[in-house]
Formats: sequence, C-alpha cells, structure tokens
Amino acid sequence: MSENQNEKLYPESLISFWMKSATDFWGSTYRMWSDVTEPFQPEGVKKQFQRLESVPKMWQSFFSTLSVPESVNALFKGMDVLPEVVLRTLQSGWVGYSALQKEWLEKASRMGKQSEAYKFEDIDKDLFNAWAEVYENELRQFLNFPQIGLTRFYQERIGQTLDRLNLFEISLSEFMKLLYLPMEKSAKAMSEKLEEVTKNGELSGDFNEYYGEWIKMLEGHYMVLFRSTEYIKGLNNVLEGGENYLSARNHLMEDILQFFPIATDKDMDELCKEVYLLKKEVKKLSKKVAGLK
Amino acid sequence: MSEPKIPVDLIMKKLAEDSEEVFKTVQKASDVLLGPLDTAISTTPCDIVYEEDRIKVKHYKPKTGVKLKTPLLLVYALINRETMLDLQPGRSTIQNFLDEGVEVYMIDWGSPTRKDKYLTIDDHVNGYMDNVIDFIRERHNLPKINLMGICIGGTFSVMYAALHPEKIKNLVTTVTPTNFDTEQGLLHIWMKTINVDRMVDTMGNIPGDMMNLGFLILNPARLMIDKYVGFLKNISDKTFVENFLRMEKWIFDSPDFPGETFRQFINDLYEKNLLIQNKMELGGRGINLKKVTMPLLNFYGKYDHLVPPGACEQLTEAVGSKDAENVCLDTGHIGIYVSSKVQKEFAPRIARWLKERDNPEKGPSSRGKPAAKATATVEKPGSRTSSPKKEKKKISA
Repeated sequence: MSENQNEKLYPESLISFWMKSATDFWGSTYRMWSDVTEPFQPEGVKKQFQRLESVPKMWQSFFSTLSVPESVNALFKGMDVLPEVVLRTLQSGWVGYSALQKEWLEKASRMGKQSEAYKFEDIDKDLFNAWAEVYENELRQFLNFPQIGLTRFYQERIGQTLDRLNLFEISLSEFMKLLYLPMEKSAKAMSEKLEEVTKNGELSGDFNEYYGEWIKMLEGHYMVLFRSTEYIKGLNNVLEGGENYLSARNHLMEDILQFFPIATDKDMDELCKEVYLLKKEVKKLSKKVAGLK
Repeated sequence: MSEPKIPVDLIMKKLAEDSEEVFKTVQKASDVLLGPLDTAISTTPCDIVYEEDRIKVKHYKPKTGVKLKTPLLLVYALINRETMLDLQPGRSTIQNFLDEGVEVYMIDWGSPTRKDKYLTIDDHVNGYMDNVIDFIRERHNLPKINLMGICIGGTFSVMYAALHPEKIKNLVTTVTPTNFDTEQGLLHIWMKTINVDRMVDTMGNIPGDMMNLGFLILNPARLMIDKYVGFLKNISDKTFVENFLRMEKWIFDSPDFPGETFRQFINDLYEKNLLIQNKMELGGRGINLKKVTMPLLNFYGKYDHLVPPGACEQLTEAVGSKDAENVCLDTGHIGIYVSSKVQKEFAPRIARWLKERDNPEKGPSSRGKPAAKATATVEKPGSRTSSPKKEKKKISA
C-alpha cells in the first residue's frame, strides 16, 4: 500500500501530525521567550508561561487519541452516520493544515532575509498571520456555531470563551515574537561585527566590551521597535485579546457559580459600589455635621 | 546569504582562562547569598497617626529637634510604595529631611482591593488628601502646611493646591506629570492608544504585576538583562547584593491601581491633557492652575523615561505663583530619591527652600537666588532649566 493510499484511509494521522506541528510551533515560541527571560521573571509571569504552554499540550493530547489505530478504527467505523458538519470540520482542518504548511515553507525560504537592523516598519506580516488566518478562517466558525435548545446560552458562552482564549493566545504569540525581533537583529549584527574584527585580527580579549556594545545595540533596537506602529498595534491586540478572554471567562464563571451558594463577580461589584456610595455619603454628612458643631 | 561565524574557539579560550577567577567568585557569592543579609527597607522609626479605609499616615519626627514650624506632608504615587523614600540608611530621603529638622508626614496609600475600584481621583484628592491635611493642620494648629508630591502623587498635589490654596503654604513637586501632550516618553505614546474603558470594565483595579511588566517592557535590554548581568558581576559583594535586593523588594512590591482612578487618569490626562489647560474637573469643581499661588519648587529628571522633562516643565509657567522654579537634575525617575549623589543635595535643598519660606514675615526678595546657586554641586553645567521668562519673574519678585 502506497503512502498516499495510507493518507486517504487515515486522514486522522495527518490531523494529529498537524496539531503536533502547530502546537510544537507555538510551544517553542513560548519556550524560546521564557528561556531567554526565565531568570528574570517574577513568579506570576512564570506561571503564566506554564499555563500558556499547557494549552497547546492539552489540544495535542486530545488530538493524539485520534492517532491510536483502535480508537480511530472505532471512530471511522461509524463514519457513514457522522453528521455532515463533522466531515466539514475535518475537511476544513485539512485545508487549514495545507495552508499552514504552505505558509511555513514560504517562511522557511525567507529565513535570514527578514532581519534588517533598526527597521521594523517592513516586518514580514505573514510570519505572524499564518496560524491566525487558519484559525479565523477554518476553525473559529465551529466555536461560534449557532446553538439551540434550553442550554444554548451556556453552550454559546463555552464556545465564546474557547474562541477568545485562542484569539488571545494568537495575539500573545505575535506580541512575543515581536518582542523577540530586537534580540534576533542585535545578535545578528553583533555576530557580523565579531566576525569582522576576528578577520582583521582585532578581537579584544575583554568580552565585557562586546557585551556593552550588544546591550546598547539591543536597547536601540527596542527603542525603535517601541515607537513603531506595528508594536503599538501588537500591544493593543494583546491587551484587547486578554480583556476579551477575561470578559468571556467571567461570564462563563457566572454561569457556573450561579449553581452554588457563592457570590459572582457581578454580585460583588454591585455590593462594592453600594458600599462605596454609602461611605461617600456618610463621610460628606459627617463633615457637614462637624462643621455645624 | 552566509551566516556570520562567531569566534567560538576564542570565546571558549577566554572563558577557560577566566574559569579560576569565576570559581573564586562563585565560592564567595555562595558565602554572601547563604549568609545573613540585611535587606530591610523603610526602617526609619515612625508612628501611624491617622487611618482611613486603606490609607495610613506615617509621622516622622527629627531627633535633633524641629527647625521648621510648618510640617511637610509627602504624597506618594499610587504605583509602587512610599517605602522608596526610605529605602535604606544612607539612601533615605526621609532621613535626610529629619537631619535638616523637617517634621515629616507621609501618606501610605495601602493596597486597593475590589471595594476600592470605584474610587476616583476626586476621592483621593478631595477625600483622603483633604482629610489628612485637615488632620495635620488641626494637630499643629496651623492654617497651612507644606505639601510635596511624588509622580502621580505630585499631580494630585497640584490639583489639591489649586482647589484648596488656603491650606497649602509651599508646594514641592517631584517628577510630576502635568503636561501629557508630549511624545518624549513611551508611556505618553502608548497610553494614548490603549482602550482604558475596556481595560477597567474587564479588570476592575489594574493589577500591580501587570503595570510592573509594562514598566519592564519600557526598556527590556536594561531592566530585564543588563541589570541582572550587573548583579551577577557583583554577586560576591555583600553590600552590593544587599542594596540590589532592597531595590528588587521595592520595585516588585506593587499594589493594584484603583480602576476608576486609572480610567480618569488616562482619559482626562493622557488622552485629553485637561489639567494643564485648566479644563479638568474634580467633584464638579473646575481646576484652575492660576489658583496655585503659593511658592512652587518643581523637580524633574533629565533622563526620566517615565515622566520626561516635557511632561513636567510647563507647570511653573501655568501656575499663578510668582515664586515658581524648575529644577532639572541629571538623573532618572527613581534616581532623584535613591542616587547617593543626588541625595546629598536633593532633600537639603528642599529643606533650605522651605526654611526660607517658613517665616511669613520674610519678603520674597530674600529668597530664590541662594537656592538656585545651591544646585551647582549636583547638576552638570547648563542642566538647570528655569525658563528665562520665569527667571525674570523670580528676580523681579
């Protein structure tokens, strides 16, 4: 049996491979950043990275079950009764995978060409958009699928929370990559300089000198980046993504908490506002009374 | 495109040569890190004399006797803590004030919780600050006290002085943003683009850790890499390690920022720049800076990347006071309070300036000039930036 025939019969292995590639890609982006900054991260930030890393892993392990022949056989035995929507999901996933692979191949061919010192206005946008486009065009629609019946609102909020989490993670990954660019640019410029001084036999024994030069160069790159419209856009996207996710998560939490005798965020906010207004009024009246005395 | 080759062999050779030295340093460093370290901050003795909700007022009395009859109230920012003014013996603005015989009160804003998220700038300025100032006035039986603000605390102090000029004798502002229409600092660029309404609606209070991360990202090369490389280089120096850890303790001790105050600060100041244009309102009352008629001393840092000179220097022109002076120091945002070099002059200069204005009988002609000369030891030539117009005003006054 040829490999192509295998692929036709077992598209599940391709999906699994696709999920692994996608999660490995973002996983290594997180790790790359956290490795660089880990010694300097406060505990809260470290936890955030660990959490972010766990999300793609979770997806990966979910999809990896599709690679186990037994479970896949069982799944595909009932293929003929699967609703059309599931088939479409798989189909879209396949289309997305192809698009993503194409993007990665193109990106790989551009490697080494994208980095120019102190220039951020011509950032290769495709570099960031590959996963975002696949997610937004092929997968997102399934999380926003119209829900029906008694539990429709609850299902909608679960879908929305997952959707916002994915969007947040996409924007965060883009932002992290953006923050990493000055490191890449300054390291490249520095290695070129070291190569040149070595060639000329002028390499200094004092590496502090080169470190000082690199840090200055890095600072300069960051200062240019931070004033660029790309950075400001990336910063706003990540803030917006985080806020949208928090908001969706809070709505979902309210749904859950209403089944328990626990006050929700909304209840607490209302209470806090009432206390705030009452206190303000009491203080005002106390001052008036003290003035009358 | 060929990849540049890094001379790894030479680097390795150099590392091998240094290895013995590195070993010695590591051994010494482990002795330092495992041994007792004094990293306590804010150790100057004080009394808590006033409490209201989350806020407290600390009172510091000079051991050598009070030389000014008017006490000084310090209003710190809502970001980080006031402990920065008393970081350690020898690097303490508070201690330096006490050595000059100035009686000091300082507001500790505490840690806002979700019940504080609805507090506005009005609640801080016309509420807490006004109550504290009334308390001190009553305690000392004085109609007016001296007020000194730090960063956002300075902005609050300017607002307060404009709304209650009858209660403030002299105003000192340090690294205080009042003009937000500048592109000198990154914060001024970024803050204009964020959607603060969505941020506050979602988060309530703005988490201190998130703000700290924002400040680190302002200069990651220095604040996230070089600073710690410097620490590693000096890791065997006990005094350096102690000082470094004190600073780390202070920097990462960040209370959350009350949500509604943050919303108002970004909307009214960073986005609309209302204060300097006399268009800002607090509790239904308009703030007119021309009503700031008391003497004003305005400090800022030439290398301040958070509150750049452009955000500070217009204040002296905008106020109604005829005795107003800008002082630009060759330092950054925090250096004003913790740099050993600046410390030698900063608090003593303020104390001198206050002493010259402590006696109401003294005319304004006897002041201004001596204070201006006194800065020469701290600043590089030409770094003092009183505008010629204001200088003229001062001299004629």
